[in-house]
Amino acid sequence: MSATAKQAKTSERKYQPIYTSNPLAEHDPLTQERVGQLENYIMKHCLWQFNSRGWDRRKQNAGILGKTAQLLCGEPVDNPTPLEKCYWVDAVCLDRAYRELFPWITTLPADEIKSLMHTLHARMDWLTIDGSLNLELTVQNY
Amino acid sequence: MPHHEFECSKVIPERKEHAVIKGKGEDLTSCLPKGYLNTIPGSISERGCAYCGAKHVIGTPMKDVIHISHGPVGCTYDTWQTKRYISDNDNYQLKYTFATDVKEKHIVFGAEKLLKQNILEAFKAFPKIKRMTIYQTCATALIGDDINAIADEVMAEMPDVDIFVCNSPGFAGPSQSGGHHKINIAWINQKVGTLEPKITSDYVINYVGEYNIQGDQEVMTDYFKRMGIQVLSTFTGNGSYDDLRTMHRAHLNVLECARSAEYICDELRERYGIPRLDIDGFGFKPLADSLRKIGLFFGIEDRAEAIIAEETARWQPELDWYKARLQGKKVCLWPGGSKLWHWAHAIQEEMGVKVVSVYTKFGHQGDMEKGISRCGEGALAIDDPNELEGLEALDMLKPDVIFTGKRPGEMAKKVGVPYLNAHAYHNGPYKGFEGWVRFARDIYNAVYSPIHQLAMVDISKDEIPTDRGFVTRRMLSDKDLPVEITGSTVLSPYTGKFDSVSHLRTKTYPDFPRAGDAEEIIAVVEQGVQA
Repeated sequence: MSATAKQAKTSERKYQPIYTSNPLAEHDPLTQERVGQLENYIMKHCLWQFNSRGWDRRKQNAGILGKTAQLLCGEPVDNPTPLEKCYWVDAVCLDRAYRELFPWITTLPADEIKSLMHTLHARMDWLTIDGSLNLELTVQNY
Repeated sequence: MPHHEFECSKVIPERKEHAVIKGKGEDLTSCLPKGYLNTIPGSISERGCAYCGAKHVIGTPMKDVIHISHGPVGCTYDTWQTKRYISDNDNYQLKYTFATDVKEKHIVFGAEKLLKQNILEAFKAFPKIKRMTIYQTCATALIGDDINAIADEVMAEMPDVDIFVCNSPGFAGPSQSGGHHKINIAWINQKVGTLEPKITSDYVINYVGEYNIQGDQEVMTDYFKRMGIQVLSTFTGNGSYDDLRTMHRAHLNVLECARSAEYICDELRERYGIPRLDIDGFGFKPLADSLRKIGLFFGIEDRAEAIIAEETARWQPELDWYKARLQGKKVCLWPGGSKLWHWAHAIQEEMGVKVVSVYTKFGHQGDMEKGISRCGEGALAIDDPNELEGLEALDMLKPDVIFTGKRPGEMAKKVGVPYLNAHAYHNGPYKGFEGWVRFARDIYNAVYSPIHQLAMVDISKDEIPTDRGFVTRRMLSDKDLPVEITGSTVLSPYTGKFDSVSHLRTKTYPDFPRAGDAEEIIAVVEQGVQA
């Protein structure tokens, strides 16, 4: 842990849109149903998706959902920094909840899990960043 | 967008964008009110000012500090003792409040001399207190008093004192939330990194956004200590000024109220690489998940699980007693900011009530995102409501109880709706497993209090029944319950003590060996072998 204060690079905080419409809409009903269940759990029980700025939310969604996908697929997860470890903590909780509440996910092959989690990630980015009505997400300072 | 227009606010058409009703299939891309904007002229807001947010919410819970407002005495009066952020040093910060008592002549001739005189007097009056926070107010900001210069002058003359300047006058934001932001950033800019702590554990956290309302911080800190975690600082409830200067040495920031303190967490992450973990201290499941997450981070999840098992076994039957009696009760969840999302889902899941409305006085759209997500369909969400809108909403929703502050709470009582104090609590603490049961007990007591029926009878015109005696809460709450609930030998109403906090202050904790200790033992053994 560094005890020397670093200055933020605000240029990295510029809002970069990814989705211009709901990415879930183009998927089949079964995928929509499954992603809806996974999304609902996050929105009701988690807080990590709601950091106050858009660039932060992008990192949170990618970090936590990426590691959750690895855990669901039984892959090893590397946590080289404290920040990565923090993503992993939330991912472990999500992995456990999904396995308990949605047992169908454990019956899917790894490539389907990856695909499903990729769609969930896109949906979360849409819901909390690109499609969000929150006008503070593009502010560049905390 | 499912905006809701109040009849009483039709004359202020801009208000329509500040209220929504969550409809079927609505999500955050279609249902979110505006927020954290200047109050619309004509709307009598319930908000506080930015000075109030900085001092009243964030600054003053620091316990070993002279808190002095540089301004008219009314500013500090209005921020004195209206919260219940207690401390383990005999509540010094609640008992004493200071103001420079600026008057008209100072506005004309300047108030810097007055400020210095007051600072010296305050330190002289309390010679054991060596730390001070000075809060700017509207009047002294407008006349341009240089508080920093005076603070530097005093610190040069008195090397054993340290002074923090909080430059957040009342007009420095749309609401108290502007003050939260300013004092967060001011603290990290001025004070973090100016002192080095003594590290006593392998697991070191800052507990951030926790204000020790009726002892919340002490309850949560008890869990952390039982896990062998060193709480380096608490920002700011029951927190020590000097501990908070050492925040840069923690391994993890555990964030409770993201509304008031995410800024300092985010900056600590940015500047010092300390990660931010958001937790929920309210509700059995959210709290258990939070302890697990902290345990996971440090690799001591087993210690968290032991606490969760012990506490759940002790308190679940009592929570369930209240849950059986609160099923379906309608709640308006109208706090200031963060509790609308801390509580929205947990009270529905764990107490069986239904949240029919959320509102926030000073929250941002981010708070509404969390709150609306955690509510069900049909919930009315209001940003920065005025009193008439509150009354209209009560008339429309007919809640059984509302959780809010004192001002709207008293208004609700007048129309026969019981209220619980969401800011300072009725009989808290509400955090922790036991605290959550205390909250359920307060809800039960409010909903079923016979006084609400009696109070609505007008003895000047209503017929008073003479064939019925006084009813009790149990008569009201149990009349339609099945016998397996009313006669249960497992379920029980709250059995804790009146004071659930004080005993924690003298408690001793297990002495967990540190990683370094093992190396030392091996070295000693090796030396012994060699000898």
